[in-house]
Amino acid sequence: MIKYNKPVLSNDTIFDKINTLSSKLSNVLIIKDGHILYKNLEDEYNDIYIKSYDEAMTDKADFFDQTKELYELDDDAYQYNLENVNSGLFIHVPKNKVVAEQLHIFYIQESVDLVQNTTIILDESSELKYFEYLYNEGQASINYVNNSFVKENAKLEYSGLSLFNKKAVINVTRNSSVARYGTSSIRIAEVNDSITETKTNVYLQGKYAYAEAKTIAITSGVQSAKFRQLIEHQAPETEGYIENYGVSNHESALEFEGVGKINKFMKHSIARQSNNGIVLGKKAQLDANPLLLIDEFDVEASHGAAIGKIDEEQLYYLMSRGLSTRDAERLIISGFLSPVLEVLSSDELKEDFKNQVQNKTL
Amino acid sequence: MSTLIIKNLHAKVDDNEILTGVNLEIDTGETHAIMGPNGTGKSTLASVVMGHPKYDVTEGEILLDGKNVLDMSVDERSRAGLFLGMQHPAEVPGVTNSDFIKTAMNTRLEEGKTISLFNFIRQYDKAVEELKMSEDLPHRYLNEGFSGGEKKRNEILQMKMLKPRIAILDEIDSGLDVDALKVVGDNVTKMQTDDIGLLLITHYQRLLDYIKADKVHVMMKGRIVKSGNIDIIKRIDTEGYDWIKEEVGIEDERVIVEDEEDQAVLGTCATKEALDIK
Ligand SMILES: Nc1ncnc2c1ncn2[C@@H]1O[C@H](COP(=O)(O)OP(=O)(O)OP(=O)(O)O)[C@@H](O)[C@H]1O
Ligand SMILES: [Mg+2]
Repeated sequence: MIKYNKPVLSNDTIFDKINTLSSKLSNVLIIKDGHILYKNLEDEYNDIYIKSYDEAMTDKADFFDQTKELYELDDDAYQYNLENVNSGLFIHVPKNKVVAEQLHIFYIQESVDLVQNTTIILDESSELKYFEYLYNEGQASINYVNNSFVKENAKLEYSGLSLFNKKAVINVTRNSSVARYGTSSIRIAEVNDSITETKTNVYLQGKYAYAEAKTIAITSGVQSAKFRQLIEHQAPETEGYIENYGVSNHESALEFEGVGKINKFMKHSIARQSNNGIVLGKKAQLDANPLLLIDEFDVEASHGAAIGKIDEEQLYYLMSRGLSTRDAERLIISGFLSPVLEVLSSDELKEDFKNQVQNKTL
Repeated sequence: MSTLIIKNLHAKVDDNEILTGVNLEIDTGETHAIMGPNGTGKSTLASVVMGHPKYDVTEGEILLDGKNVLDMSVDERSRAGLFLGMQHPAEVPGVTNSDFIKTAMNTRLEEGKTISLFNFIRQYDKAVEELKMSEDLPHRYLNEGFSGGEKKRNEILQMKMLKPRIAILDEIDSGLDVDALKVVGDNVTKMQTDDIGLLLITHYQRLLDYIKADKVHVMMKGRIVKSGNIDIIKRIDTEGYDWIKEEVGIEDERVIVEDEEDQAVLGTCATKEALDIK
C-alpha cells in the first residue's frame, strides 16, 4: 500500500526567478512542497488528466496497484519513495490525443524533504511533450521517481532541466516502459550543485519500440554526481540510443554508466551508446562506463567514448583572438554542452542554463 | 607606427629544432611575403609569433614596439595587436561565429564594457557582405563543416573585425578558386593602410598579383635564406627554388628530413591504431 503524507505548506509564494521563467511559457504547472500553486493550461489540455498524486490515488485507484507490479525495482531509494511519497503528479493522456504544445512543470522545494512521485500514462497513439524544471531553495533530501507508461504507438518527449543547489541531496529514478511502435525520448540537462544520483531505466516491451536517453551534465566544486541509464530490449526489433555529454570542473567527480541490454531472442535490435566528456579541473574526475549486455547474436550494438582535456587547438585558436584562458574555456564548454539547447523551449530557459554553466566554470 | 622585430629566433617542437635563426622586421604600412617549399618552417614561424603552446623558443627575441612578445600569453599577444590567419584553423562545435567574434571584440574594451549589439551586427553584416559569405554565417558554428575556402574567408573576416596592427596570413590563398581569391585579395588590399603591417605566407605568385608586397623572403631549413623585392617571386614562379638552393648551398630545404619509406610504413600503422576503437 502506498502511504501519502502531504506536507504542510509554509507559504504559497512562488520565487521571483520561477515566476519570471514561467511567465514566458504557456502550459505551466508549478508545484511547491507537494502543493500545486499554479496551473495554466491551454484548451488542448482540457481532456488530459493532470492532478496531484494524492488526488489521483482516489481517482485512479485501479492503476496504482498495477504500477507497483510494473516496476518492481530492487532499489532502496525507489522503495523508499513508494512508501513515503509526499508530492508529485499524475498525468494521463487519453487514446489518440496528440498534444502539440509542450507541458512545463516546475517542481519546487522550499522547506521540506521531498519524496516526489509522478506518473505519466500515454494511451495508445497519443503524444506528449513533457518538460520538467527541478529546483530547490532550502536544505533538503529529494527523492524523485517518475514512472511513465508509453502505450502502443504513443510518443513521449520527456525533457528536463535540473538545477538543484548545494543544500540538496538528490536521488532521481525515471522508469519508462514502451509498447509496440512506441517512442520514449528522455533528455535531461543536469546543472546541479548537489550531490546527485540519477537512474533512467527504459524497458522496450513491444516490437519496434524506440528509446533515447540523453544526459548533459556539468559538475563543479567538490560535488559528485552519477548518472545511470539502462535501456533494456525486452522485444525484438527495438532500438535504444544512449548519449551522454559531461564536463567535470574543480575537484568534482562525474560518472556515466550507460547500459544497453538485449535479452535473448530479441533479434534485430539496435543498442548504441556514446559518451563525450571534458575534464576541466585539474583534480576533477570523469568516468564513463558503457556496458553492453547482449544475449542475442543477431543484433547491432556499439559504444564509443571520447573523454579528455579541453582541446588544445581550440583553446589556442580562441586565445589567439584575445580571449583569456578562462573565457576561451567557458566558450568551448558552452559550445560542447549546446546539444541541450534544443530541449529548452524558451530563450529564458536557455539563458538560465547558460548562466548556471557559467557559474560552474568560474 | 608599430614594428615587429624577430631576432635570431630558434624554436623546437618535441626534440626537433624547426626554426634555426629567423630574422625579420615588419613595420606598419608594409607588406612582406614569405615563400618557401613545404616543410621549411613557415607555419612554425607564424605559430611561434602567436605563441602556440607546442613550440619552445630556445633562443632569440620577438619584440612588438620594444615589448617582449615572448613574455606574453597568446591572448595578450592578440590584444597587443598581433593577428594570425591560420593555415588550419580549429573547428569549435556549438560556438557560433558571432558569439565568438563578439567575445573577442569585447576583450579589447575596458573591463566590464561590451560592444553594442547594434554596432556589432552592423559591422559584422558589412564584413560578411564584403567577403561574399553566406548570410547565415553568424549563426553557424565556428568553422564546423566549413569548406577550405570558407575557413580562409572566415579568418579574413576576423581580421577585419579585430583590426590588428601586425597580421600574419598563413596560406590564405590555398584552396581558393579564382573568384574567391579575388574576393580575399580585394579585401586584404583594402586593409593595406599605414596602420597595419602584413606578412603573407604563400606558395603562389597569383596571390601577390592581387596583394602587392613590398618585400619578399624565402624560407628554407627553418630560416630566411634570401630577401629581396618582387622579382624573386617571378623567378621562383618560372624556375622553382633550385637556383636559391644553389646560391645558399642547401641540398634538402626541409627542416626535418625523413626517410620517405619509413614514413609510409609508420603512416599505415598509425592509421590502424587510430581505427582500433576500444
Ligand atoms: N607541432 C608539430 N609537431 C611535430 N612536428 C612539427 C610540428 N609543427 C611543425 N613540425 C615539423 O616542422 C617542419 C616545418 O613545418 P611547417 O608547418 O612550419 O612547414 P611549412 O613551411 O609551413 O610547410 P607547408 O608549406 O607545407 O605549410 C615540418 O617537418 C613539420 O613536420
Ligand atoms: Mg605551412
